[in-house]
Amino acid sequence: MEEWRQIFYHAMNMFNVLIVSYFFVANGTYSLLMIISLVSVWLHNRRLGYLSLDELRESPVTPPATILIPAWNEQDVIVESVRSILRTDYPNLEVVVIDDGSTDESLKRLINSFRLIKMDLIYRPRLATKAIRGIYVNPRIPNLLVVSKDNGGKPDALNVGINICRTPYFCTLDADCILERDALLRLMRPIVKAPQNTVASGGIVRILNGCEVKDGKVVKVGMPKGVVERFQVVEYLRSFLFGRTGWDLLGGTLIVSGAFAVFHRETVVEAGGFLHDTVTEDMDLIVQIHRWAMHHKRKIKMCFTSDPVCWTECPAHIRMLGRQRRRWQMGLCQTLWKSSEMLFNSKYGVIGLLSFPFHLYVEALGSVVEFLGYFMVPLALIFGMVPVPLFILFVVLSLVYGSFLSVGSVLLEELTYRRYPSFRDLMILLVYAVLENIGYRQVVLYYRVQGVFKFVSGFRQWEKVTHVGAAP
Amino acid sequence: MPFLIEHIYEVVSAIVIVVLLGTGALVIMTIARRQRRQRYFRRLDDLRQRYGPIVSSILTQKIEYERGVVLLRGITGMDRDHMLEQLCLEHKPTPDQVPTLRRLCEDLGLVKLWQARLTGRLDVASMRDAVARPEGLIQRVGKLSFLMRAKAADNLGTVQHRPSWRLLVKALDDPHSDVQAVAVRALAAIQEPESFIPLVERLRQVIMRPSSQLSLRTIKTALVSFPLDQMTGLLPSLKDPHRRVRFLATDIIREVVERQAAWEEDFVLDAKAFGSELLECFLEQLAFDENPDVRARSAPVIAFLADPRATPVLLTLLEDGQWFVRLHAVRALAKRKFLSQAPQVARRLTDSHWMVRESAARALLVFGRVGSEQLAAHLLSTEDRYSREQIADEMQRAGLIPALLAQYGAEREGSGERVIDMLIQMGKTSYLVWALETSPELELRKKFLITYGQEPDPQIRSWVNRVASQDVDPALRTLAGELIRIPNRQGEA
Repeated sequence: MEEWRQIFYHAMNMFNVLIVSYFFVANGTYSLLMIISLVSVWLHNRRLGYLSLDELRESPVTPPATILIPAWNEQDVIVESVRSILRTDYPNLEVVVIDDGSTDESLKRLINSFRLIKMDLIYRPRLATKAIRGIYVNPRIPNLLVVSKDNGGKPDALNVGINICRTPYFCTLDADCILERDALLRLMRPIVKAPQNTVASGGIVRILNGCEVKDGKVVKVGMPKGVVERFQVVEYLRSFLFGRTGWDLLGGTLIVSGAFAVFHRETVVEAGGFLHDTVTEDMDLIVQIHRWAMHHKRKIKMCFTSDPVCWTECPAHIRMLGRQRRRWQMGLCQTLWKSSEMLFNSKYGVIGLLSFPFHLYVEALGSVVEFLGYFMVPLALIFGMVPVPLFILFVVLSLVYGSFLSVGSVLLEELTYRRYPSFRDLMILLVYAVLENIGYRQVVLYYRVQGVFKFVSGFRQWEKVTHVGAAP
Repeated sequence: MPFLIEHIYEVVSAIVIVVLLGTGALVIMTIARRQRRQRYFRRLDDLRQRYGPIVSSILTQKIEYERGVVLLRGITGMDRDHMLEQLCLEHKPTPDQVPTLRRLCEDLGLVKLWQARLTGRLDVASMRDAVARPEGLIQRVGKLSFLMRAKAADNLGTVQHRPSWRLLVKALDDPHSDVQAVAVRALAAIQEPESFIPLVERLRQVIMRPSSQLSLRTIKTALVSFPLDQMTGLLPSLKDPHRRVRFLATDIIREVVERQAAWEEDFVLDAKAFGSELLECFLEQLAFDENPDVRARSAPVIAFLADPRATPVLLTLLEDGQWFVRLHAVRALAKRKFLSQAPQVARRLTDSHWMVRESAARALLVFGRVGSEQLAAHLLSTEDRYSREQIADEMQRAGLIPALLAQYGAEREGSGERVIDMLIQMGKTSYLVWALETSPELELRKKFLITYGQEPDPQIRSWVNRVASQDVDPALRTLAGELIRIPNRQGEA
């Protein structure tokens, strides 16, 4: 009995060390990212004063680009989305909508609204995809093309788009997103201006809920009314403004949101296109490109910029949030698992030595460690292994530190873009940033752990998230 | 003192207190920042309301210039220069407003300030301004940073201050790449002829040193904005032993020529407009360069040359061993003035590369009726499946099918019917059926029904079914119904 007791105590001690190390690694890295991002985003924002978009807009050197919109059962938003995207401020823009075998009226509405004609055009499948049902064009709108295909999922639809697209760069955009008029120009700027070969450029995704939309354009930015949505606003700010900016500055970009990103077409084709074996095809593609570049000894760059904005609707209900987060976590685990050769591989530089281990330890496995912490630490307390005051102090510290990071992201937003003009909205943001770690964080953590377990159990299915319909 | 486990309470408590205080500080900073920005924008809005109309009136010459300047000098305060800058440069000036704006900025002392900032010198006024700006301390540091230098270069470019071009050329060697890039852009806006050569030299440097902070596109964009008569400055680059230098120089001239051609109808380049040396260089050297990229980019320029050697040279490029040289040659020939070369362009419809085939089809469409006829004739005569596919593709994309159907409806026997036959054989019937369904011509539908009503093509079959059940004309419905009852050709086979 005594022996079992010793083993239990030993295991508890080990776990306590693990949770404390996780706490310091995670918060230490986040703090570092926050400091880096504060400087970087502030500087970038100041640079915007002279980084003219006119030059890019008027230059014959600006490369043409295609916006790819995969759509599946998006009948309520698709027409307005396409109308709005066709108004995007970009020279030499093409728009390709890929209807992924919708069972609703998405295709019919597109055909009727844009007077599209079914044509038997050449389709050169460089990437293997499901069968094409038809290609629709209106000769009077030559920069719009709609493809109808058998249902094969978002990666398959994007691959069809890549096969069809003719421009050197393409931008992936979700059908329910709203792109700011100059967002593509801003997203292309680092590609055009960088002396290195930039193959991917990601922008910021902001939450549309609570905003006023008119003619496919956000005319008034506001905070959503729902509690779940408000927490997500803070979360997105933290994730995009200092998570991704920080990693970008360190040269460790591992995630670019597929809802809105630009890619170099040939690089993507050579890297194998979007694959179907993960549920987060965007992160998977980025990792795949890193691996391809390393194996083929290509010097490439991927970047994240904080000023191109794409507005997207976030889940308004906790159940939908759960579906989304489970998928994200599962996709993260799938991608990291299949690319495990990158872990601590110095050939990948910052990606292999810092970014990949961080994503694995903190973002993927960390959820399980943190989740278990909520049970194990109280257990240790019950068994008298942790003194009560110390336990309370650690709980307070973890909550306060989380609030510190969230408030930091709100400050960063205020220092730079100030998208929420009302003072009331700013105060709401601050309050939710402070409160985010009490309740909301734990709920999200629960879903993330579910995602990890779904990955372990080999679950592959994409859980569809339905929105309440703010866009566009 | 050694660290004892007993100290952990103190350590964790200290961390908690520090983080709590930090969080509080961040909250206060956020609110304070918002309030400062609000004060700043209130002041800016106030000045905009009071002085914005004056600036607009000066630029549109609605008020006397001198009077306007006196009124603007009435702006006082520590942030005077900054506010004046905001008011003057808030909107992008139209080309005819630029001289007035430049004079205004000079008279208000802004140009001098920008020049001082660009060179890194700070005068008393700018220091005062720095202290007064809402960003406070950070801004003061910013004054000394690349941000200020880059913004100054940008402003000088916006007002196209020609006397500043030397300063901007010096800024090409600034330690920060942003300042270099903005200086390049400003030089392009000013278009001082003497600055062209330093930019060309910078282009060469960037090509030779891949580690350069400047991107090639930035310099190229600047160089292509210069007028055509400056292009002789690229002659040494066109003869450079480095193949990439030659390529980029050729491509820059191509961009400039194409831009000019887009502005001027019937644009031609003669020795007077282009310079005889450049003209010779393109016809005798670049079109036969060992670098295929150079040959390819020379084709669009050669297409505009008013020289009898131009067309034969283009036809030589049309037969080049590299597909992208042929591609550029085909595109260059896609002008109505090369109508007589339609048969040569049509030959490229059977090119081994699909992009050349596609461009050839598009080029023929540019030739109008003659080109369309060439296209149709080629569709009917060629044995090359890929060529046929490409032609059918372009005919659809260009929206030619309704016209083709109309031609078929009007003629007794002719190429229209043969082209339709071919399209049906190839299974390219979606657009045909759409055009039939939307055509108001009853006779056309009837003729098509009689001729093709028994084709096994599924789209035609379903169209016949729709005619049988839905067509407005009872005779046509009956005819279609009879055709459905007869076993189709495939069935017979």
